[in-house]
Amino acid sequence: MKTSTPTEARAVIDNTTPPKKIQFRKLWQTFGPATIFLAVFLMISAFNPNFLTSGGMGIVATLSAPILMVALGQAIVLNVGSIDLSNASMSLLGAILLALALPNFGVTSPIIILLVTTAFGIFNGFFVAYTKVPSFALTLGTLGIFQSGALVFSNATAVYVSDNKDFLGHLHTTKLAGAPTTFFIGLAMAVILWFVLRYTKVGRGMTAIGLNETGAVYSGLKNRGLKVVAFGISGFMSGLGSLVIIAQSGSASPNGLGSDLLLPGIAAAIVGGTSILGGATNPINVVFGALTVSMIPIANAVLGVNAQAQSLVYGLAIISIAALMLNGSRSGIVK
Amino acid sequence: MSNSDKNKTIALSVKDIQISFGDLMAVKGVTFDLYENEVIGLIGENGAGKSTMLKILSGIYKPDKGTIELGGKTLKLKSPEDANAAGIGVVHQEQSLFTNLSVAENMDISVGKTGSSSLMGFYNWAKVNASARQTLAKMGSKLDPRTLVGDLPFVDRQMVEIARAIRVGEGANTKPVVILDEPTSLLEPHETAVLEREISKIRELGSVVFVSHRLDEVIRVCDRILVMRDGELVAIRSKSEVDQNELFRLMVGREAKSEKREYRRQNQGEAPVVELKSLTKKGKFKNVNLALAAGEITAIVGTNGSGREELCKAIYGALPADSGKLLIHGVEARNWSVPKAIKLGFGLVPSERKVEGMVGGLDASSNLSLIFGKESTVGPLINTKKQKAVADTWFEKLDVRPKNPTLELERFSGGNQQKVVMAKWLKSEELELLILDHPLRGLDPGAAATVNSLIRQAVQNNTAVILLADTLEEALEMGDQIVVMRDGEVSSVFDLHKEQPTSLDLLEKMV
Repeated sequence: MKTSTPTEARAVIDNTTPPKKIQFRKLWQTFGPATIFLAVFLMISAFNPNFLTSGGMGIVATLSAPILMVALGQAIVLNVGSIDLSNASMSLLGAILLALALPNFGVTSPIIILLVTTAFGIFNGFFVAYTKVPSFALTLGTLGIFQSGALVFSNATAVYVSDNKDFLGHLHTTKLAGAPTTFFIGLAMAVILWFVLRYTKVGRGMTAIGLNETGAVYSGLKNRGLKVVAFGISGFMSGLGSLVIIAQSGSASPNGLGSDLLLPGIAAAIVGGTSILGGATNPINVVFGALTVSMIPIANAVLGVNAQAQSLVYGLAIISIAALMLNGSRSGIVK
Repeated sequence: MSNSDKNKTIALSVKDIQISFGDLMAVKGVTFDLYENEVIGLIGENGAGKSTMLKILSGIYKPDKGTIELGGKTLKLKSPEDANAAGIGVVHQEQSLFTNLSVAENMDISVGKTGSSSLMGFYNWAKVNASARQTLAKMGSKLDPRTLVGDLPFVDRQMVEIARAIRVGEGANTKPVVILDEPTSLLEPHETAVLEREISKIRELGSVVFVSHRLDEVIRVCDRILVMRDGELVAIRSKSEVDQNELFRLMVGREAKSEKREYRRQNQGEAPVVELKSLTKKGKFKNVNLALAAGEITAIVGTNGSGREELCKAIYGALPADSGKLLIHGVEARNWSVPKAIKLGFGLVPSERKVEGMVGGLDASSNLSLIFGKESTVGPLINTKKQKAVADTWFEKLDVRPKNPTLELERFSGGNQQKVVMAKWLKSEELELLILDHPLRGLDPGAAATVNSLIRQAVQNNTAVILLADTLEEALEMGDQIVVMRDGEVSSVFDLHKEQPTSLDLLEKMV
């Protein structure tokens, strides 16, 4: 049967927004996350002026550091049009392995962990790119694998770093303007990733395949390789997340710090203006996203929301901010 | 059909429609009447405002000023559903059928509440199928309404689109007004004849607004022709009083200048750039032998399913062939892939510009430097200043408008997008082979002329060109050799330097 038609049916009406709206949307894309951050910040300060004077921002920066790491990795993966559900559990497994490795390998162990998690990420990317298992399904699977890995290596209990823990601890205790070094490492990574996306061929290639993979392939971009790179970056960022966990708590456990990073990580990426459909992200705005997400529990506290309703407020806040940050430029149709 | 306007009823009356986007006034006070049982043509260059006008008629845009009357009643169209409910059916340029639903369901889906064959959202299947069959019968079609649209060939889908538009009018209990937005741009030559027959059927049922870039076709199909330029309606002509040249002049504001190619061979007897030796892809094409010489245009003609599109994709490395050889300057290509093809100087302008040809969400200058980024990169880094400078040069050279390469490419009109897509390849000085899959699809005659002159320029620079043309005439005008494909095989090759086949000769070998 001759069914090779040039156009597959697409039930899409061309709904290009008239140009007058573009200007505002561009501005909002650039400054929206910072504006939202500022709004939440001012609200908390208004209700509780102590927040400003007693180092509240330092606490927020500390809370946001591990979220920021996984959120940046997530933003890069979302930018190529995929999703990495495994990155948070990878961070936790990395932290447990790091806690086990530190006494034996000392200073080199963080590097080993970064290599291991990057390899995990590359593994994810390789499978997504070459077997065409959708990233959602694949990373849902590896999420389970890493989780059970964390349970096995830790014997389901907290692993304390018995030796050589100080040099990582310094990353947490050395502070600038109240914020720990770990936060500044995240900030530096955000700047680096921003530069990569904006000024390198690899970065632009990743954005291009997130926007229109077919078009990018026909332009000769190596879409598979670029996806592997994106997942590799996510793995590396998860490794940095492991470092932050150990630096902050000196221990790692399957249900301790870092065990619930997945959703805040995705939320921070979206609140930071990352499009869930791919092709639009700004790592520097993801920093604001991570800060905003970390401030919501504090806002809950100052507003006197009772403990039972905190998740509810958290959920509502994420939904409303995500709606504010919706990236209408990508498509009129959202899945 | 008589030409006196007096004994005709006005179906649709458009008065002083005006709309602007920011500073740009896209439609400036357009007024016209559409009579019952009339086919009216709407032509204009890309950006002349005809798409905007269509979007207003179909309820997608709301005009700033002006009124639309249908059967004497003023319409307030707020959405496409409103237009459907009023009896205005639209066949969009790109097909918008649901391939996973049946013909009848597709036809029922846009019908307003009153005419629908469902009760409170529940299908009455017998009724859905019967009313679909009825409408199809009126158009002289014997399609089974229960067929899945995905199983239909392209022309039949177009028929379903049109039937759906008519059904919309029937559902509203009025004579339908059917808007056809470039319905022929995706059809093969022999299929357009079928479509023209269908249009004359609709003429008996209601009235039609017909948008097309093919001037000969507009004159053949329409009773009157409206010409838009820069947002204004510059002329209304009845078909008996115009010819193609005048329409072109009215549209573009300058005389049509035909660039006949001089028949000369640049490289006599040199080894071909690319040679295919019994290249085969199961179910697509088989045993294709072909030699492509530098500085020559090879036009491949054939119907849908002739395998010519797949052949082009195989040459470009986007579709792996099963057997046979691809020789480049006599050397066999192994592990062929798109990046390799591009490295060796191959380029492809795909027919589906928006899906395959460009990354719409990326700015125009980045699109330009997706390939051969060398002139604007340092190692892995991009020099945005240089990239912009390169883009500016090409925007100037090809007169791409608006002259702002930092805009996302999807915001440009089709013709200007195509210029950018072409420029992406023409930038390379070592372009060996350029594959053009329907390069003029959806372009107005002005933009088409520019693109054709770009193709000739590439030929002058010794690039071998493969052309899949929209029409046989285009193939005959542009080609040095014409390869006819039928059912995946080359059925005939004409060397236009030695023989002068007519389009009929080609058609004979195609089917």
